[in-house]
Amino acid sequence: MNSFAGLLPVVVFLVFALVAAVIARQRAKARAKDGFVAEYFIGSRGLGAFVLAMTTIATYGSVSSFVGGPGQAWSIGWGWVYMATVQVTTLFLLYGILGKKMALVSRRLGAVTVIDVIRQRYQSNALAVAAALVMITFFATTMIAQFVGGAKLFEYVTGYSYTLGLCIFGITAILFTSIGGFRGVAVTDALCGVAMLVGIGVLAWGILSAGGGYAAVMDTIATNHPEMMEPLSGGNMPIGLYFTQWLLVGVFTFALPQSVVRTFAYKDTKALHLAMVWGTVILGAMMIGVTSLGVLSAGVLTEPLEAYGGSVDNIIPQAIVSTLPPWLAGIAIVGPIAASVSTVSSLLIAASSAVVKDLWLHASEARGAAVSETIVARSSQIITLAIGAVVFVLSIVPPDVIWRINMFAFGGLETAFVWVLLGALFWKRANATGALLSMVGGVAAYCVAMALGFKIFGLHQITIGITVALILMVVGSLTSKPTEERALEPFFG
Amino acid sequence: MSSKRKLTSYQEKLAQATREAKATFAALLATIVAWIVLGFGLSGLDVQLFHTPLWVVGGTIGTWLFAIAVCVFLEKRVFEDIDLDDVAEGDTGGVVLAEGGVAHE
Repeated sequence: MNSFAGLLPVVVFLVFALVAAVIARQRAKARAKDGFVAEYFIGSRGLGAFVLAMTTIATYGSVSSFVGGPGQAWSIGWGWVYMATVQVTTLFLLYGILGKKMALVSRRLGAVTVIDVIRQRYQSNALAVAAALVMITFFATTMIAQFVGGAKLFEYVTGYSYTLGLCIFGITAILFTSIGGFRGVAVTDALCGVAMLVGIGVLAWGILSAGGGYAAVMDTIATNHPEMMEPLSGGNMPIGLYFTQWLLVGVFTFALPQSVVRTFAYKDTKALHLAMVWGTVILGAMMIGVTSLGVLSAGVLTEPLEAYGGSVDNIIPQAIVSTLPPWLAGIAIVGPIAASVSTVSSLLIAASSAVVKDLWLHASEARGAAVSETIVARSSQIITLAIGAVVFVLSIVPPDVIWRINMFAFGGLETAFVWVLLGALFWKRANATGALLSMVGGVAAYCVAMALGFKIFGLHQITIGITVALILMVVGSLTSKPTEERALEPFFG
Repeated sequence: MSSKRKLTSYQEKLAQATREAKATFAALLATIVAWIVLGFGLSGLDVQLFHTPLWVVGGTIGTWLFAIAVCVFLEKRVFEDIDLDDVAEGDTGGVVLAEGGVAHE
């Protein structure tokens, strides 16, 4: 049954986000001191602590954090929440390992994108082009998963069609990203982060009320599924899965380029320090909270999975529908839709920067053709819009099991960038040959292993990708000519 | 306090950033140990808090609180305030700046 009450909060939120992005962009235009590109793609390096923390969290926390992950927790139990807790390390790893050095180097070089830094560190256009293509490919995959996840949730909860949901929040996200640029994205990310927390709170209330309180819900779970109270979940949560999830959603997340670019954009180190502490507080509450809701749903959704459409992706939407009145359900789904929109907008602006700054403007400069800022400004918005439109169209045919698609892209990006970035900043001997081999060879090994379902010791294919990428980086760098000293100065002094 | 002394040269700032990166890696190792001890380490105990197994509380909320404590420690004891604005101007260290730059009007 169609529920206008369920639709209204989503529409109100999206209109509010669109207006906020437009206002942020208008205000930024007046004080853009470093030119259009720096303003549009990194907000003129002006983010304060709160917006920095929230935009990083909202970029990282996607619809799979709200739908796929908790759905798995419904099936597996507290072991999944224990595993999800590893994400509390992501902010301090990003800000602590790359945060300050990237800020210094990017300012020194006048770099606006992650690929700018890679190109200048390794002095390689081939590597920069490979990095841009890898980014665009995996970003597009992730964006499709976000659109699909958000639209399926919308359909399930409101009763309106998948396509209508996709149109409402897909078009809004594309518009506010195209118009607002990075600063608009950062501001709307902050709004989305707040909406995500509100959504978690509302759903927690619904589940606990429907289940007769926390104690009753826990007792129901312990009675029906005692294995869900154990860390290994009766064999459903093997040690190998913990290990690979540590790598995928913990240790290597600092290399995700959509997160790394945020370390270019903060205004001073006080903002970075505060964002690290308060961001970890908020991220932990969000990730532990939302995944716990998946487990607690098992206290109210007690039928077998087939009763809920046979997919764990339906668990959280079903929990919303079953435990909340329509108007509160509408507020609850703003959380996951905000998670979807904020991830899409961040990836979209980063993909656009790869096309505009790293491919087009660089090629123009190489030919000696200066491009006027007016043309860059118009083209940047059109290209952002065009990438968004392509992803939107591809999302009309929905794939299944969102969290796996998201994890595939996470693994691909981490494999591609982790050793290239660490080598760029911390290993003088790393050079273009090693970096190119690492990125291309690592991603190829990862994708082939994923496609064939090939695993070593039953571990996720990220272990293969990361290992191959590391070996190729070391062997390639040590067997070829070092990078010129003058190119290393901004990175090592 | 995070502000102990003023780092003036670019070289000093890079060295400090590298120190902070190393400390962060150590913080990661400490958090992994805490996660194992507070989760798997407590899972053998048949103790519950508010109808919740102790290992769940330790492994999730305990690890989260530990990570927050780690961040506070890094912020207070390891990280330093650095002026980022003075590194962009003037000397570029002999490096040819971004070939892909934009011609500003």
